[in-house]
Amino acid sequence: MKVYMRPIESIAWFTQDGIPHPLRYRIQTEDQTYKTVKISRIISRVEEKIAGNRMLIFRCEGEINGLLKIFELKYELSTCKWYLYKI
Amino acid sequence: MDVNSAYLSWEAAYRLQQGASLDLRTVPSAVGGNPETRRGIILAKSIPAKKYKIQTGETLFSAKQKCPDLIIVSPNYDLYRQCSEYLKRILTAYSPLIQQFSVDEFFLDFSGMEKLWGDPLSTAYQLKETIKEELGFTVNIGISSNKLLAKMGSELEKPDKVHTLFPEEIPTKMWPLPVEELFGVGRATSQKLRDRGIKTIGDLAQEDPTYLKRFLKSYGILLWNYANGRDNSPIIENKAIPIKGLGNSTTIPFDVDDRRTAQLVLLSLAETVGMRLRRNGFCAGLVSVSIKTSDFLYFSHQKKLYLPVDCTSAIHATACALLDELWHGQPLRHMGLRVSDLCASDFFQPSFFEQSLEKQKRIDKAIDSIRLKYGAGAVFRSAFLHSGLKPLSGGVIEFEEYPMMTSIL
Ligand SMILES: [Mg+2]
Repeated sequence: MKVYMRPIESIAWFTQDGIPHPLRYRIQTEDQTYKTVKISRIISRVEEKIAGNRMLIFRCEGEINGLLKIFELKYELSTCKWYLYKI
Repeated sequence: MDVNSAYLSWEAAYRLQQGASLDLRTVPSAVGGNPETRRGIILAKSIPAKKYKIQTGETLFSAKQKCPDLIIVSPNYDLYRQCSEYLKRILTAYSPLIQQFSVDEFFLDFSGMEKLWGDPLSTAYQLKETIKEELGFTVNIGISSNKLLAKMGSELEKPDKVHTLFPEEIPTKMWPLPVEELFGVGRATSQKLRDRGIKTIGDLAQEDPTYLKRFLKSYGILLWNYANGRDNSPIIENKAIPIKGLGNSTTIPFDVDDRRTAQLVLLSLAETVGMRLRRNGFCAGLVSVSIKTSDFLYFSHQKKLYLPVDCTSAIHATACALLDELWHGQPLRHMGLRVSDLCASDFFQPSFFEQSLEKQKRIDKAIDSIRLKYGAGAVFRSAFLHSGLKPLSGGVIEFEEYPMMTSIL
């Protein structure tokens, strides 16, 4: 996997305890069109606090261009922003 | 405990987290001061930058001459505060008695804690690894029987190391070091010592204290004790990060050429400066104002106060007086307000000759709590209505000066 770290739009549901579960995300490609990816499975969720900045890292599985791929999303708690971290 | 190249490590760790491919710590790099507030000086540097003899405090210009490829990044005081707070949070698990000595240095009293954590050396290694793994930066830890020796121990080989410096290790580990390395020996003192042939900490330790007193007064005795590893200062718990000064500045969306608008801009800065002072529990004894004209000319002026204050109105009044002395009506682009000479707001010498600010203090307290609860814009002064100016300027911490060199443990 390669570090990508691009901001994305996303839909997630949150549990009563405040844990987000990403459902799908959408990213703008070079030709200004949107590409939507549905997350079929969350493999793991870890929290990191690098430099005191809390982020959740989700390792996910989903279909991209007809292939089942593994990728990682990041959620930054201080800004509520989602990123496509690694793919 | 001391963070290795703190400002730089924090910036590097943060950038990696944000997806940067380059680790600033692995290349010649530095955190450089805002050219306006600190005239562009190096605040911290990476270990590879040290090889080019780049020094903290030198100008960005001279650093660039020594190393043209030097990467310089701007300081981010919000980040430093955040790193410092998380660090403290990790430390509190290890001891109930912690003193934050500076933004990146802590003293931790481990007395009695070995029953819970095991021996200090292996705990220190564990602590160092926890910080590296969780927060993404490295620290040095010095272990000893007093604060002075622990601090000196943390300054031995860097980075990412644990050192012991117990009294019996002083002759081998501390005495061979140059005298400048001793805590409390600044440039002026070092010159006086060197002039008299005192080159190492060992030389100083073996000197006759009455001789030292002749040219360094009682400070000579203190340093002589330090050189011999003697210090009995207690670990004092503190709630906030010790700071020396703070400030904010703003670039105005239009050129200001009338006194009333200029005073309003200062008021919007005084609001945030005052809030930050009060949040940290400080009063300021020195106020300074800086302006930049539309021709990019820079002027600044400062004033010492007889009575330290933390009230927005009092800071603003002083700032306006400074502005009148400083400004002759040229169009203004940028204005800044800084306060320093800080002292604790709950304990200082009041004055018979100054107006009592009790009422002001109460109103500031009420406004602060409203803003904390309902947001910064929940209450503001009517003077800002239809002014085209923000009632509060400087949302991010733009300038904060932490003590760099002190001789008081
Ligand atoms: Mg340090």
